[in-house]
Amino acid sequence: MKFRSCSSERQFALIKTKHEPTHVGCSKIFILLFALFFAGNLLAADVPADFNAANKLYAEGKFGPAAGAYEKILQSGVASPALWFNYGNAEFKLGQPGRAIAAYRRAELLAPRDAEVRANLAFVRNQVAGPTLRQSRWEDWLGALSLDEWTMLAAGAFWLAFVLLALRQMQPAWRPRLRGLTSGIILLTILSCAGLGTAATTHYSKPTAVVIEAEATARSGPFAEAQDAFKAQNGAELAVLGRRNDWLQVADGSGRIGWLPVKQVEILPGA
Amino acid sequence: MPVAAVFCLLLWWLGATPAHAASFTASLDNDTLTLGQSATLSLTFEGGSPKNTPVLPDIPGLQISYVGPSSQFSFINGQTSSTVTHHFTVTPQRTGDFVIPALTAEVDGVRLTSQPLQLRVVQPSVASTSQINSGSQIAFMKLMVPEDKVYVGEALTARLEIYLRDDVRNFGNFQLTGAPADGFTVGKLREEPAQRAQIGNRVYTVVPVSMALTATRTGTLSVGPLTANLVLVVASPNRSSDPFFQQFGIRDPFGNPGGAQQQISLATEMVNVPSLPLPTQNVPPGFNGAIGQYTMAVTAGPTNVAVGDPITVRIQISGRGDLGSLTLPNQPAWHDFTIYPATSKVATANPLGLQGTKTFEEIVAPQNSDVHELPSFAFSYFDPDTGNYRTLTEPPVALAVRSAGATPVPTLAATQTANPQSPARPEDILPIKDDLGALAHAGPPLITRPAFLALQTVPVLAWLAAFVWRKRTDRLANNPRLRRQRQVAQRVRDGLSDLRRLATENHSDEFFAALFRLLQEQLGERLDLPASSITEAVVEERLVPLDLPEPALNGLRDLFQLCNQARYAPIRGSAELNSVVGRFEKVIGELQELKA
Repeated sequence: MKFRSCSSERQFALIKTKHEPTHVGCSKIFILLFALFFAGNLLAADVPADFNAANKLYAEGKFGPAAGAYEKILQSGVASPALWFNYGNAEFKLGQPGRAIAAYRRAELLAPRDAEVRANLAFVRNQVAGPTLRQSRWEDWLGALSLDEWTMLAAGAFWLAFVLLALRQMQPAWRPRLRGLTSGIILLTILSCAGLGTAATTHYSKPTAVVIEAEATARSGPFAEAQDAFKAQNGAELAVLGRRNDWLQVADGSGRIGWLPVKQVEILPGA
Repeated sequence: MPVAAVFCLLLWWLGATPAHAASFTASLDNDTLTLGQSATLSLTFEGGSPKNTPVLPDIPGLQISYVGPSSQFSFINGQTSSTVTHHFTVTPQRTGDFVIPALTAEVDGVRLTSQPLQLRVVQPSVASTSQINSGSQIAFMKLMVPEDKVYVGEALTARLEIYLRDDVRNFGNFQLTGAPADGFTVGKLREEPAQRAQIGNRVYTVVPVSMALTATRTGTLSVGPLTANLVLVVASPNRSSDPFFQQFGIRDPFGNPGGAQQQISLATEMVNVPSLPLPTQNVPPGFNGAIGQYTMAVTAGPTNVAVGDPITVRIQISGRGDLGSLTLPNQPAWHDFTIYPATSKVATANPLGLQGTKTFEEIVAPQNSDVHELPSFAFSYFDPDTGNYRTLTEPPVALAVRSAGATPVPTLAATQTANPQSPARPEDILPIKDDLGALAHAGPPLITRPAFLALQTVPVLAWLAAFVWRKRTDRLANNPRLRRQRQVAQRVRDGLSDLRRLATENHSDEFFAALFRLLQEQLGERLDLPASSITEAVVEERLVPLDLPEPALNGLRDLFQLCNQARYAPIRGSAELNSVVGRFEKVIGELQELKA
């Protein structure tokens, strides 16, 4: 709002008379926004170069530095399926199937129908011993679209439905012709909203934990002295049931329940 | 005084010297064992204790495990002696004569050496047929292999039967102490429900145990002799039939109700089975070592895909055999597909794991839109019962493959060098992507962003606006008076502008003509009469009964008179015309407040 109040004339005036206190606030905001805009562009410009450099390290067999380079890009706040995919590859080559699975799953959240991501995820999962969490067929079907795709589908149908309803109000003569289309779009809206609701529920209420240490011992209670409940291998995917301080209550694919330290796992939203 | 006495006694005890110098001896509680039995080896240190627990050397054929120490302290005639004994369990793995060599240990800086020990391990006696039939054997074992020949790689089920005579009340602690198998790998064991059998003139309880075996080589294979230990509880007539109670014909309530316990060792004969190589004639091209009897079901979906889209092929192989070792054969006919690593799971139908279903899930992706079907899937196995190879074939699955447009086709590192006619199954992850793709700033999902949610109110508001507009339009269309009211109000608004303009321009005739027309329009609308029928007389006839305020009536009368006078009177000035406009506005306002 402040920026909007700064007219071009006032900006021009403040260049000539910088001592005017009334114009200083506007100029700072303007310069800050200008700097942020170009900083963002510069950051975006660096990412492909960093990505290529990381790929080069990977190609040279320097998987540790490559993983570090991919991770650094991801920590800058940008992401793409390819970035997570390559990071997963590097972690797998480093003997970290848990981190690889977590990376592939994050890539899958962005690009759920990417055949290469699915293939590598299946391959690494196949390497992990012990019972693992399996998604239901229903969850598999919902996972064909990402949460944002479900959102866009539902929003698109929602907008179209209301535009058609508004059109019917404005042009009553078109109502007979629009009846079938409107009913279809309303049905699509209901179905897509139901899908979105289910996908969002799964995303937020069914988080999973991927074990990222060589062997994690789940305990019967949330403290280190508790008895062993079961052992989970690096890469095992567990359902998160609850959390208490730095401990997660988890269940493995065979239904065994135990507590794991948070630092031994990577927590992912439900797919 | 008592405290001083105890103190002196303690000093005297501490000052007492050992009766003898330290010594080290080794002993076995039993120097002749039947294979399956164990002996206890005791290493005794008298007059001192070694600094560390003695470590025994590895002796081939003997399994030695440490049990723990025990100590003894004695005080006789002022002389103290202490003994520390370390106990080991010695379990032979085979028959023969063994020597436990002399052992050396350091006690209080002195190296002590024990004497070597001899241990003989003999084969447990296998009951002969005559002994079994006579009923003299309280328990015995039999090993049976149902096949008279096996093929290398074939899995089979052997049967071990434990026979317990009818006077055995109970048994326990069954432990298979030796299961030698030459050319077989021994798999899971499973105890079956007990049966009863008449042998000679005694009745035996038979406890069968099934055992999974897999032949690993050709030639003569052998399994056994199996040896086992178990503890029997045998009925003891002497202890359970006290004469005192016998004379009353009742059971001795103080006798041992369980009978006498007895530990015995059992052994079976060795069973030899010839193992044959698989036939080299008529070997199907896709045969990859599967042996057994199987059936197969294949499903694939989705069948309407774009180039590069994944199709999940589910292959279920059910039957009898070593399911765990089954692998999918390469399918040369699938050269138009990219094949990703298969996952598998085994659902066994019997506890030995030799019967059940193995389900493979393989993801394939068509490489071009010319593909119209997933070619037939073939699985070959060797049937050991008939001695022939068999091939199961599932028919092709029709596919509708459309062009993928910009969708990239996944490529496999392994296929870049492999023969394109026979795509190799990848044994590693797919290579990294060179294209970074569309970058997105990591952020919360759209559905949680307030701006996005707020945007969704736009279509609702648009529809609400259209709805309200429609309602107003319909109300207007169905109410001619209301419509006329609005039309007249609009005409009056427009007419006022015209009046002001005409007054300013001092066009008196046009001014009063317009004024009269506006009065007609407004009064006609209020009285629901045609505008053309409105004259000055209407004021008296229709407005007076409506209780219009007198000033308004007078104003109307004046305006009508002005209009009439204007036709004959001279032209007035702009100022006077503007004052007429003001009076007209006032009258019109009062008229518009009048309820029609």
